Amino acid sequence: MVISLRTGVIGLSLPFFFVGILSGVFDLIDITWSVTLAPVGLVLGVAYGIAYYYRFGYALTDDTVDVGSGVFSRRAREIPYRRIQNVDVRQSVFHRLFDLATVSIETAGGGATEAQLNFVSEPEARRLQQEIRRRTRAVKTRRQAGTPPSSSRARSEATDQGTTRSPTPDADAVAASTETEPVDGERDPSRREFDPERAETDDQPERADESMVGPQQPLEGESTLEDAETGLGTETELEPDPFEEDSPSLLFDLQAKELLLYSLTTIRAAAFAGLLALVFFFTDQAIAILLATAEPFGGPEDLTTGTSTSYLVLGIVSAVNAVIVTYLVSVTYTFATYYDFRLGRAAEDFVYERGLLQRYSGSIPSEKVQSVTITDNPVQRAIGYAGMWVETAGYGPDSGSGSTSAVPLAEDRRVHRFAENLTGVETPKFDSPPSLARRRYLARYSIVATGLLVAAYVFSTLVGVQYWYLAALAYLAVPPAAHLRYVNLGYYVGRDHLVIRRGFWKRRTTIIPYYRIQTISNRRSIFQRRLGLTSVVVDTASSQTFLWTTPTVYDLNLEDGRQVARVSRRRLQDALAERRRDDESGPSFSVDFT
Amino acid sequence: MESLHPRIRLVWIAQWILTAAVIGVVIAAVDQWLVTIPTPAIVGIVAFALLAGVAYAILLYGRWHFELEEDALYLERGVITFVETAVPFVRVQHVDTQFGPLERALGLSSVVVYTAGSRNADVRVPGLTPDRARALQDTLRELAVESEADDAV
Repeated sequence: MVISLRTGVIGLSLPFFFVGILSGVFDLIDITWSVTLAPVGLVLGVAYGIAYYYRFGYALTDDTVDVGSGVFSRRAREIPYRRIQNVDVRQSVFHRLFDLATVSIETAGGGATEAQLNFVSEPEARRLQQEIRRRTRAVKTRRQAGTPPSSSRARSEATDQGTTRSPTPDADAVAASTETEPVDGERDPSRREFDPERAETDDQPERADESMVGPQQPLEGESTLEDAETGLGTETELEPDPFEEDSPSLLFDLQAKELLLYSLTTIRAAAFAGLLALVFFFTDQAIAILLATAEPFGGPEDLTTGTSTSYLVLGIVSAVNAVIVTYLVSVTYTFATYYDFRLGRAAEDFVYERGLLQRYSGSIPSEKVQSVTITDNPVQRAIGYAGMWVETAGYGPDSGSGSTSAVPLAEDRRVHRFAENLTGVETPKFDSPPSLARRRYLARYSIVATGLLVAAYVFSTLVGVQYWYLAALAYLAVPPAAHLRYVNLGYYVGRDHLVIRRGFWKRRTTIIPYYRIQTISNRRSIFQRRLGLTSVVVDTASSQTFLWTTPTVYDLNLEDGRQVARVSRRRLQDALAERRRDDESGPSFSVDFT
Repeated sequence: MESLHPRIRLVWIAQWILTAAVIGVVIAAVDQWLVTIPTPAIVGIVAFALLAGVAYAILLYGRWHFELEEDALYLERGVITFVETAVPFVRVQHVDTQFGPLERALGLSSVVVYTAGSRNADVRVPGLTPDRARALQDTLRELAVESEADDAV
């Protein structure tokens, strides 16, 4: 019913909006009309809300999620469980006021959320999320029925129960290690022998002291997400069903220090965009503030009376100002978004929740994970921290992209170990592209610097500013830039995974299982052909955004590039064959991402 | 390795002629309403676009090859950026045959292979005779079904 409140408010405000615009365009329309039209809008809005409420329905059947909606035009939609990529629950401040939530169901198809249930009660949202997870699993089990469940499967389920329900809150290292035994036993033994180092670190007792624990070990004894939640004082009492092996075990919990470091070391483009929008709407106030801050440093009193020096001061101070404010906005935004971030594992799914004002909680089936990416920027590298993202084919809540933050920030050692456990990749030993590539970047950045110089010259002749040749200083940055780009490039052709590292400002190390490859290409531009270099583009189903380009191994020797493509193709076939074998021998293959 | 049908050059050249014509009209419009552009310059630009287009079409034809390999559809093409792509049969979502008005007039078809990927998600093999296109479509479909797996999405 709260929906009618929202549509009512929208209905109330629409007349103001339209009359405001129209009165500006047509003299005939007076702005005062909006006052009389507003109650009409309110009534219509509330009526629409009520109608929407009564015309909206959803149901969970055995095979599909059915959603029927629409007041004027009806739409009935059925989403098969096995197509669901992830299920998110979002709560804005408004939602939380009324104890409501929005449930979004994502599939791989299309550019938008497949089904969105606005305004369901919070416990209902949680129930839906869990129920969809449970039924997805049930469908999967049914599909595999006919072949007897293998013992390892049964064991893994037993482990899940054991992990989530054993009532020892202060599990010491011994208890934890005994608990991990069955899971380890379930693991692919060949993987084990591939990385004896990790096998050793797994058993190191010091791990129990660390705040982030390996995926099999629940953090801080047996605290589950639900437990933690009731501890937070949320009013909704959601008792985990005792017969349901679904209460998540905690994998990662963002500590206050990590949250602060993450907020301080991350710059968000969105912050800049938000600031621009703000300045656009409050131009006068913004200019007044900029003038006020510049004045003590010798800025002009207002925009019309000033000397060229005072304008210069104003320009510099404003630029500094903009940087500082953007940074602060970005820090605040990150802090609010990732406040109280927790990642857990419920059976085959990852679940996470985060947010200060707006709460997000999502679940990602581990078998839908396409690739895993470790990100760090220079500051984070300097202090030895990194973050981890998982990419799915659906559209997650993070700015409409398919990548979801699994670990916003943690010590890089832990992040790498976590990523290795998650994907089962061995510790990569990176190969570098040939040093010819560095020469290429040297040439490329020199061209950019020349472009800058020319632009500065043109600008100076147009405006009449001297010192345009100072732009030549950009050439000084060329060699280090080329070098930094080069040294951060790396690739590793692993047994089951291809690992690609690139970028300096936002370095990304992407781990792609061969099994997830959609297409693989060798691209060679004219320049690359002359140098005998090639870029290997590895395409997966993870949805692409402007910021996250397709994983690419840049500038390999042609023969090496072709070799990477060949090996990847062969190992894709091997992985497929392995899966088929596993399918025939029973459902022993559970995608073991942790 | 299979080449495209030679007539595809005509399709590409015709496309370039159209493009050059559009460029010519735009420049002529600019000349008419905004700034005067000397007529030889207009003719020069259009002629250059035409020549470049024809050269591009001929070069591209020489570089376009595809092959059905054991596990994947392999294609290579490109004049400025040369691209070698492998599309594993398992990753084929569906296959279309398409033809635009130009291709149709010249009796050619394209086969478009869709994957679930994000970039290069649809791969087009142009310049096939309708029979060859249908045969390729059928083969690809069979191979895709044959190597069926969990669809990794």
